[in-house]
Amino acid sequence: MSHSHRARLHEVDEALGAIEECYRQGWTDGLPVVPPTLQRVEAMLDYVSLDPEQVLGEVPVRRRALTAEHAAANAVMAGCLPEYFPVVLAAMDAMFQHDPNCIHESSAATNSPGILIMVNGPIRKEIELNCTGNLFSPGHRPNATIGRAIRLILINVFEQRPNVLDRGCMGSLTKFGVCIGEDEENSPWEPFHVSRGFDADQSTVTVATVQDPEMLGNRYGVTAESLMDATADAMSSHGLGIYLNDSPWFWVVGHWHAQMLGAQGWDRPRIQEYVFEKAWRTRAQMKRLGAVRGPLLDGDEDIRVPAAPSPESILILKGGGDSGIYSELMMNYHGLPALTIPIRESWEDFRAPEADDDGSHYPLPRRGD
Amino acid sequence: MTAATSQKIQLVDPTGADPGPNPLTLADRSADIRGKRLALLDNSKANSDVILKAIGEILNDEFEFADIIYLKKHSASLPPKPEVMAELHRHADIVVTGVGD
Repeated sequence: MSHSHRARLHEVDEALGAIEECYRQGWTDGLPVVPPTLQRVEAMLDYVSLDPEQVLGEVPVRRRALTAEHAAANAVMAGCLPEYFPVVLAAMDAMFQHDPNCIHESSAATNSPGILIMVNGPIRKEIELNCTGNLFSPGHRPNATIGRAIRLILINVFEQRPNVLDRGCMGSLTKFGVCIGEDEENSPWEPFHVSRGFDADQSTVTVATVQDPEMLGNRYGVTAESLMDATADAMSSHGLGIYLNDSPWFWVVGHWHAQMLGAQGWDRPRIQEYVFEKAWRTRAQMKRLGAVRGPLLDGDEDIRVPAAPSPESILILKGGGDSGIYSELMMNYHGLPALTIPIRESWEDFRAPEADDDGSHYPLPRRGD
Repeated sequence: MTAATSQKIQLVDPTGADPGPNPLTLADRSADIRGKRLALLDNSKANSDVILKAIGEILNDEFEFADIIYLKKHSASLPPKPEVMAELHRHADIVVTGVGD
């Protein structure tokens, strides 16, 4: 049966009434939104030259498709400027490329992961994305609105509403949105995306489902080993180690921590190897903490359970300000393992990834079917 | 009120595209499950194996299944992998699943 992907229009009398109408319709994350007027949505689409009906991807288990127009409407509501829209589109594209069902999975999961968007390359400067002080705080429009746009898309397009399909138990502040840039200019290491094989002058987005960040406060250590030991200690205690040995990690290395590591000659691979070797608990410890089920068995005291699956899965980037001596640690919950893709300069030739027909997915009927 | 302020504002609905009619239909329900083939589909949550196997035993006492198979999903919040779905199609008339922790 043929049907249109075009969005419905709602008419209201004035701007403040429009904000209330968005609340009435259930379109917000609890905070007021910018009304998604036809003109603003068109401006967003014009910036990337996308047809409003262009399907960007589908979530088979939800039987819902994301069109460019829906993405634009939610980006407008989040407060995005048109020049942020390529980052929003790239973040959604990364999820579709990995497995569209991860969008459902990240909300169905009771441990409440948020979605981290980490940006590298020249676009950070072009859109004035914050990469330094107050990295995870409110106060910077691109950081605050790009992350929020993703959450609004999940709520509105894929119906991931709290306590309906979003089954988070404790919920998470990360669900308001987390978008950060790497502080490439003040890093002792090559940019994160370069370490993943991209050119320095390419802009990329790295997208991952993450647990709540934990601040690392090694303030008085004077050796790299002290700092890395502290990081390994946090990794092996995090969240009672529920997911030890299963998930990658992000270590957002703060300014002075990065300076110390760099000055003492530690590069990424050596840091990863050192922290991996140090970050573990015994199976017996995990059982005593209720992180692993079952009674203590002979040998449990001698079995090491590493916090990360491999040294390479400890992802290291530089970010944050120089006002204090801190870093941030995040567990990459396994819904969407950190995936890095380029941010397109042109979306005109974009084609959505084809839904699988192997029986694991349930493709939406396409127009004309 | 001026003419400019009285003009209607048009809002673009941001909710998802209607995919049209559901292409999937439910399989016929078994009128009598006695002697059928039972599958227990573990969704990988802790202890779901324990409770599903107990349920299987209780049901089997009453309905005397021709066969009972036990399969597991790789993730509680994702659909089964294609090979698991294929096993269910081939070897089961009835599936019991859905366990929280």
